[in-house]
Amino acid sequence: MGKSSKDKRDIYYRRAKEEGWRARSAFKLLQLNEEFQIFKGVKRVVDLCAAPGSWSQVLSRELFQNQKQEDAKIVAVDLQPMTPIDGVTCIQADITHPKTLHKILDTFGGEPADFVCSDGAPDVTGLHDLDEYIQAQLILSALQLTTCILKPGGTFVAKIFRGRDIDLLYSQLSYLFERVVCAKPRSSRGTSLEAFIVCLGYKPSKNWEPKLELNKSTEEFFEGAGIGKSDNLEHLDFPVDEGRTIGTFLATGDLNDVDSDATYRPGKERELVPVQMPTAPPYKKALEMKRRGDLVRR
Amino acid sequence: MSIPPQNTISSVEEQLLKPLSHYGPVTSLKVFQNYVLAGYGPILKVFEVVNNETQLISSQQLFKRNKIHHICISQSGDKVCISGSRSFRVLSLVDTLNNTPSLEEKAINEWITCCEFLDDNTLLILNSHNTVYTVDVSSKASQFILSDKVHCNEKSILYSGSIRLLDDGRVLIAAGTVMNGVIIWDYLTKRIIYNFTEHEGSIFGVQIDSTGKFMISCSDDRSVKLYDLQNGKILANGWGHGSRIWNLRFFKDQSNGLRIMSTGEDCTIRLWRYEPGHDLIQVELLENAHLGKHIWSGDIDDEHLKLFVSGGADGKVRVHDLIGRNNVQEFSLETISAKIGKEFHTKENIKQYSELPHLNLLIIITSHGSIIQYNQLSNEFTLLELTPEESAKFYDFSIMKSLCEINVILIACRNGDILQLRFEGNATQPQRSWIEESQLGNSKLTNLLVASSNSSHYSLTDCPNTKVPFILRKYSDSGVETSFLQQPQQTSFTTTDMTIDSTNSWLILGSRYVSLAIYDISNESDQVTIFKKLSQGDTITSVSIVRSQKNLLTVLLTVRDGVYLYVNISKIDGEFQYEIIHENKLSRGFIEGGFVQNNQLILYGFKSSYFYLWNESKQIEIYNEICGGAHRQWEFFRQDFNSKFIYINKSTLCIKTFNARFVKDFGVINPGTHGREIRSVCISPEAKNGSRLILTASEDTTVKLGKLHSNGSVESYWSLNHHVSGMQTIKFFNQTYAASSAANEEFFIWKFSELDAIPIVIEYSRLKPSADIPDLRIMDFDAFEYENGFIITTVYSDSTIKVWYFDISEKRFFLIIEDRYTTCCILNVNFLFLNNRVLLQIGATDGHLSIWDITNKVATGGEVKSLDEMIIKQQLHQNGIKAILPVKQAGSYEIITGGDDNALILSTLAFDQEKLKLEVKSFIEKAASSTITSISSSGDAKFLVTSVDQIVRCWSYKNYELSCESARYTTIADTGCSDSVIDDGQVILAIGGAGLSTWKLA
Ligand SMILES: C[S@@+](CC[C@H](N)C(=O)[O-])C[C@H]1O[C@@H](n2cnc3c(N)ncnc32)[C@H](O)[C@@H]1O
Repeated sequence: MGKSSKDKRDIYYRRAKEEGWRARSAFKLLQLNEEFQIFKGVKRVVDLCAAPGSWSQVLSRELFQNQKQEDAKIVAVDLQPMTPIDGVTCIQADITHPKTLHKILDTFGGEPADFVCSDGAPDVTGLHDLDEYIQAQLILSALQLTTCILKPGGTFVAKIFRGRDIDLLYSQLSYLFERVVCAKPRSSRGTSLEAFIVCLGYKPSKNWEPKLELNKSTEEFFEGAGIGKSDNLEHLDFPVDEGRTIGTFLATGDLNDVDSDATYRPGKERELVPVQMPTAPPYKKALEMKRRGDLVRR
Repeated sequence: MSIPPQNTISSVEEQLLKPLSHYGPVTSLKVFQNYVLAGYGPILKVFEVVNNETQLISSQQLFKRNKIHHICISQSGDKVCISGSRSFRVLSLVDTLNNTPSLEEKAINEWITCCEFLDDNTLLILNSHNTVYTVDVSSKASQFILSDKVHCNEKSILYSGSIRLLDDGRVLIAAGTVMNGVIIWDYLTKRIIYNFTEHEGSIFGVQIDSTGKFMISCSDDRSVKLYDLQNGKILANGWGHGSRIWNLRFFKDQSNGLRIMSTGEDCTIRLWRYEPGHDLIQVELLENAHLGKHIWSGDIDDEHLKLFVSGGADGKVRVHDLIGRNNVQEFSLETISAKIGKEFHTKENIKQYSELPHLNLLIIITSHGSIIQYNQLSNEFTLLELTPEESAKFYDFSIMKSLCEINVILIACRNGDILQLRFEGNATQPQRSWIEESQLGNSKLTNLLVASSNSSHYSLTDCPNTKVPFILRKYSDSGVETSFLQQPQQTSFTTTDMTIDSTNSWLILGSRYVSLAIYDISNESDQVTIFKKLSQGDTITSVSIVRSQKNLLTVLLTVRDGVYLYVNISKIDGEFQYEIIHENKLSRGFIEGGFVQNNQLILYGFKSSYFYLWNESKQIEIYNEICGGAHRQWEFFRQDFNSKFIYINKSTLCIKTFNARFVKDFGVINPGTHGREIRSVCISPEAKNGSRLILTASEDTTVKLGKLHSNGSVESYWSLNHHVSGMQTIKFFNQTYAASSAANEEFFIWKFSELDAIPIVIEYSRLKPSADIPDLRIMDFDAFEYENGFIITTVYSDSTIKVWYFDISEKRFFLIIEDRYTTCCILNVNFLFLNNRVLLQIGATDGHLSIWDITNKVATGGEVKSLDEMIIKQQLHQNGIKAILPVKQAGSYEIITGGDDNALILSTLAFDQEKLKLEVKSFIEKAASSTITSISSSGDAKFLVTSVDQIVRCWSYKNYELSCESARYTTIADTGCSDSVIDDGQVILAIGGAGLSTWKLA
């Protein structure tokens, strides 16, 4: 899923170096914020799967330097060790383990978080279904924590790979958030299936209380959460009626922004001017409505 | 709580889209009784093995979407359970064999790691959170009951696991976790017995042996570890795999010793031996057992069938003989000396040897002229009687050749004299006769070549003096006929191999620098014809006949540094002519020889320190033998499917015998495709005898040429290794020419022809990169026929657009247009023809469709021009336009585009007076739940779309309104490309990704 071979010649890679980000991923979060203003009103953040830490850097710079919130709190978690970042509490742990989630909750001391993000990606095996399953487990683990710690109205962002069951996940998340969008920042390569699921306006399930128990799997955790997961254990029937929804897709970041798929030749830019001025793209209206959050759900 | 809107286009009128064939990763294998069961994605295939022959007896898609990752069979042998992802299905073995699966697909709520039957009515399912579900599967009506959920209080995520029922009634669970090593626990007591943490990283395979005494595991860290389950100690490590290991099996050798089989990402199969106190000893390494990357699955049967099977990402299933392996006999000179009762000289060593397979004899000559006969049936060595004077003639120099068909051995000495030995069935001593050479004068013999054609047998004597002719001798029962052939008048014509074609009486000699000499031996006065440097490369190591017709001979040439060629030779107006009709390069070391057998090309040679025998057509290594590096002394002999590789290692004679047990297709019981993701696929425009050519380009930079038959099966013929960079696109220009593009500015034109119904191909021409260190990707191209060639456009990752004229007879590219779009990457390009104009249309990562009029710039050469202002620039998609299908109508085009943004758009393009207009007619924002990757035509106002959500959809647009007619799940993950053809109104679609599948649209 992730490819690194092109990194060296990638312009975002160079820009990250110049601007002091630990990874080019920083631009993905920045471009998501440009579109969704996810940093607005945010004080307490959990950054899951955070190493080497460029998202934490972005968050630290935003909350402490730009917004001057001295009491802001950022907790970063990863399997890998992380070089310390100002104002960021680092935890080295596996996010799929309930113990880790307990530890994060403890760090927040009962206070809710305003924003939970996860940029996690497992080492891929090459067996697509297994890789997709493990990726889904990472997202569900992040969502588990989210349901336990995110304040109502808060935001959840997670990396996804747009594989065969992405419509299932989209459907499940739509039960818990006001708005769910599948966003692809311009800095994420077009050749990769990577995208980000941006979930805005957390609305906790009314009839279900999330309870983290050490001996529950993610699947058991979400039992009764009413997010459309099929309950098929009675006769172990193959679920045919699972909720699937095609997500709304948004390419974020300016189109004139650097294209991560292109090979750059500095100084050789040229703009070919069209004879005829273009009309608005067909999706424009729907998109604008969506940006305003006007689109009503069926 | 409101229910989110449903995806209504994930399954629509599925019966309209009928899958025909599927080639993809083999996800599980099981050998049971006389059967090999293969989990082929969601399809279960069963092969029967009878008398060393294998046959596919059933093939059924048993899961709707999920892949079969595990197969188990109950102890009674009555029931089979297949499982994978969340799905499982219980079948009776009889029904499975008869292709009449009972009961239906079931599922749990989590990923299934593995299953095992406790008894015929109880199934244990280990899920990925280390919990075992006990399921009552006795119901005939699929009313299964989950009777228990058992766990050991440690619920980490599992990548692998296995369940072992022991004779004492215990049930052990081996759980391979993501982070926490291997956990062994008892299903009945729910207690953890051991937690082994010696591995680093995730555990991908774990097995407990049938006695419950041993456990093996493998992981990210590339080691195999063997544990003693009685005391919890690690016994041994096995190091050798070059990357991750996926699969392990225990087995026993003939003396009951503990052995292990492992397969992995590095595409190797390794057999290991355990000896107490040592690390695991690798007893055999099968390299390149499959193509590309990953051998996902394997199983072994050491008791009944005595074979092992492997299944790769390349979709192949192979059976390998377990017992007849590593058949190497070794004889030192001392051993031989003792057997024949003759003392050898202290400096005496083995010089040459040759085989007479009909008599099972191996004839050996030493540096001191001792000739020994080894009868390989009776295992007897005999010294041949030679006078001391005779022996002296071979002192330090001899060349031995065999004429197998007539059981004759020829041994030449320095002065050109040849000792002829004729062997009879049961006589211990051959008839001897000397052929004295009077022609060489002061020159020395440097080479003796032999060739047989029909019932004629020849030798040719070569000496370095070009004034001395080649001496050709024909051997028959009545004696030897001698004739002379003028040598090529050049200093460097060193002969390396000879073949004689009886149809035309042509004699062909191979030499260095890929040069050939041809003689018409029916005509004594005929002069030699020389063809120099037929291709790049060094020495021709073998010349053999592929096809012989009156005045048309096709020969196979192998060139040491890896090239092989099929060359047509004919005589026109008394002059020999040649044409290379097929050419490819092996990416695996040196080629020493090759031959065509059963229409399959077999090559052999050396790679680093081993000898290999390679089936180029099937892309499999038949065997290899580690024989040491430099100064090799070796011979290769073959008889039907069996062969011998005989070499000297440290002055010991080593005879590797390979007797093929599974003769048909060398044990490939299921054909496959590339071993890596297919990035582009195309089908030839015309059909011949119901078949078309199909080309696929894969991530591993290989291009495959095959035939797509009318029933949807794909027969692969060649894997072309010319590209070295990431493949982008492959397309046919017409039935004869195709092109392919890749990173590093690679752009090749291919030319196709046929040899006895086998498609063959040459790289016809390649575009020279514009930069010394090319780093641009040629993303796409298009072409149309023009004058004596094609007008071709290529588009690049840095926004460059180029248009060329390609002259076919000159094989030259002339750049006619060069310009740039913006700075973004261009994804696709098409030529459109409207109102007698030639338009160039591109789609790019910025979601825009742009069109230029290039009518006045199309030419066969001249100055390089720029593009004018674009006449259309219209944003259609939010970001990358991944697929475009232009459909030509009278006076207009319908342009269908699919985006990374999941959207599908139908537009029309036409001239309104003099102004070109692009009009969006229909827009489906959510046409897929993931990136749309390809659009293929399917006739009247219909087209087929693939997307990474693994759904194939057929859309129609009557009255310019897009609507989804049919949608069906495809088993091909990473669905990335497609092409379609319409034959008699029948639409056939080929889809590429992690595998290849073909479909029929009803
Ligand atoms: C793409 S990187 C994150 C980059 C990061 N957002 C940044 O900007 O620097 C993905 C990370 O996911 C982490 N990861 C994967 N599985 C995990 C797990 N189970 N628990 C915690 N971290 C995990 C990996 O260690 C890796 O560092």
